[in-house]
Amino acid sequence: MERRTALKIVALSALTKNLGTAQAAVTGHCAMPSGTAWSATAESYKLQFFTESENALLDQLTEMIIPADGHSPGAHAAQASLFADLMVAAGDEPAKSQWRNGLARIQEEAKKSSLSDALAQAAELSDTPSSDVGQFFVALKQMTVNGYYTSEIGIHQDMGYIGNTYLAEFPGCTHPEHQ
Amino acid sequence: MSTGTPQYDVCVVGSGAAGGVMAKELSEGGAKVILLEGGKRVQPNQLLTHKWPYELPYRGLRSEKQDIYYQGDVRKSVRYEDSDDVGVDRIRVVGGRTVHWNAVTLRYAARDFRERSLNGIEEDWPISYEELAPYYERIEQMIGVTGQDDGLEILPGGQHYLPPLPWRCSEHILNRALKPMGIPMIPVRKAVLTRPYDNRPPCHYCGHCMDGCDVAAVFNSATAMIPKAQATGNFTLRQNALAREILVDAEGRARAVSFVDTSTGKEESVKAKVVVVCCATIETARLLLNSRSPQHPNGLANSSGAVGRYLSGHSGSAVRIYVEELQGLKPTNQDGATDHAFIPRYNHLSGKRNYVGGWDIQVNFASYMYPQQANRIPGYGADFKAQVRRMQSGYLMMGWFCKIVARPENRVTVDPNRKDASGIPIAVVHFRFGENDLAMWQDVVKSIREIGAGVKGPVFLDSEQPGGFASHEVGTARMGKDPQKSVLNGYCQAHDVKNLFVTDGSAFTTSAEKNPTLTIMALSLRTAEYIQEQRRRGEL
Repeated sequence: MERRTALKIVALSALTKNLGTAQAAVTGHCAMPSGTAWSATAESYKLQFFTESENALLDQLTEMIIPADGHSPGAHAAQASLFADLMVAAGDEPAKSQWRNGLARIQEEAKKSSLSDALAQAAELSDTPSSDVGQFFVALKQMTVNGYYTSEIGIHQDMGYIGNTYLAEFPGCTHPEHQ
Repeated sequence: MSTGTPQYDVCVVGSGAAGGVMAKELSEGGAKVILLEGGKRVQPNQLLTHKWPYELPYRGLRSEKQDIYYQGDVRKSVRYEDSDDVGVDRIRVVGGRTVHWNAVTLRYAARDFRERSLNGIEEDWPISYEELAPYYERIEQMIGVTGQDDGLEILPGGQHYLPPLPWRCSEHILNRALKPMGIPMIPVRKAVLTRPYDNRPPCHYCGHCMDGCDVAAVFNSATAMIPKAQATGNFTLRQNALAREILVDAEGRARAVSFVDTSTGKEESVKAKVVVVCCATIETARLLLNSRSPQHPNGLANSSGAVGRYLSGHSGSAVRIYVEELQGLKPTNQDGATDHAFIPRYNHLSGKRNYVGGWDIQVNFASYMYPQQANRIPGYGADFKAQVRRMQSGYLMMGWFCKIVARPENRVTVDPNRKDASGIPIAVVHFRFGENDLAMWQDVVKSIREIGAGVKGPVFLDSEQPGGFASHEVGTARMGKDPQKSVLNGYCQAHDVKNLFVTDGSAFTTSAEKNPTLTIMALSLRTAEYIQEQRRRGEL
């Protein structure tokens, strides 16, 4: 019920304002103490759901979705796979099954060709609701996006976001060509 | 049950927009007032407003910033039955939803009070715009509203605005696209300070209005109303006091409010000569329906059967447009005070329609921190990442709010078989969109697409299906002239129970496309004045 509420409030009660995803409405208990900085705890983070080998695979996949480039580091550096572990661990059983089975399926396909090909095949099926691997790609991409663009690297280094600060006055548009 | 408490002149139930005004006005007027609030106070240093996502356990994706406002089991103590895709927003904290809102403050237009007379649907309000206008003016002065009087019939203005918020580049470009379409855009009116006002500092433009304003530049009842009530010496605040039932005397008049202290689990009651219910639309219906007695077997003030019925509010959704001419520009700080521009209702300005009512559009009330397009554009890899980055500077968001026609079958009931943690039967929401609502929805989606085409850039609608209620639910204890068809008279006084008043959104006879809070506060102020006058006359 709460999930439906959160998704449908168009006033975009602040969680959608900031993050705007269905995952925003998932409920459950926090596994980390409130206010803990990800950057400070990631080094000592212990996997809660994925195995070490699953995490290694997931780490590669997230980096393929948002790779490092000349502008900024990618999802590997942002430790998006560890974020995924925390979120999936707090999720429901169908979601856990989707992740476990999805990674296994990708791994299986990768053995036939390459991880890159396996991911590409999954991506091609992402618009097919009946395709499990396609829907896994949708979840994988969304998780990577959420993990990356809520990280220090994603917010500051990649997007160059400079808000969330104190301004004495808001200048508005200062470009005559837009007015 | 303890009943050894003193008798108060007035017991106000709920501390949000309606309850804050009521408590302040009556206390300042000399009445001994007790306010029951189901939640507890949140201190500014408890807010996570300025925390970065990576400083939060789940990056803010599990509502870590908002949990503080939804205390106890409030999220669980409601269910939906035979409903379309809607959600109601209930909150439990001192200050109510004013501590967690975007603060858009709009007057209803004269026509919004006269749907039956003008359009042959619903009912006319028992009061007119002209009667409420002086109270709008006083409330705007009381809370501090940025904006201006734009001279629009559809959105009447006041005389006491703080300087408007300057527009962002995307808003200027949007306005440029709207002009040839004949759609006016104006500076938003919202209860955010652009100058120091009433001993409150101005906005510091952090961009987090709805997460809670740690300096109270955004108006909220907890910091701008309740302290004034407390300063009178006439006011008592009971936190963690969850109202169970309004108790009546042999004549059926309200005599006390029973409540559960959720911090101790203890059942208590407080006696009062007058009871004012300000619990918001869903919880007010729940409280009245749970207040059954031999004198009021169908719930308090419910001889009409209208309590809980005519549930209305807003349907709406949002669109994300990535303005081509702004894409790829160097990032700038665009967050400000969330929305700065506003598009009042415009569908009445041209053409014939097969439905009644309209919508308005709020512009850019989403943070710029998170790139929404990353979940909307296809692909992955280096090109995808670069495209996400390039699009962000062109981000323009609009959310629209459509009137929903009030119909009796849309209602709130209570479930005696399912109770909350305090043993109080929960509310049950029953809601279906009607033909008028769905016809309007088709038109608004078409119009939004036309606006998007005018702006030029990729357009992504959050949903093409209607959803509700945008936290703007109203109408479950409506005002009306006919006691057989309504719960309250024009002073928000129960037809059946002379010393019972309801001044939150449930009192609305009909919904317009406007956000309801300013009207709630104006009604509450007018009713407070009426209660004082009636008390002076010995009528209450």
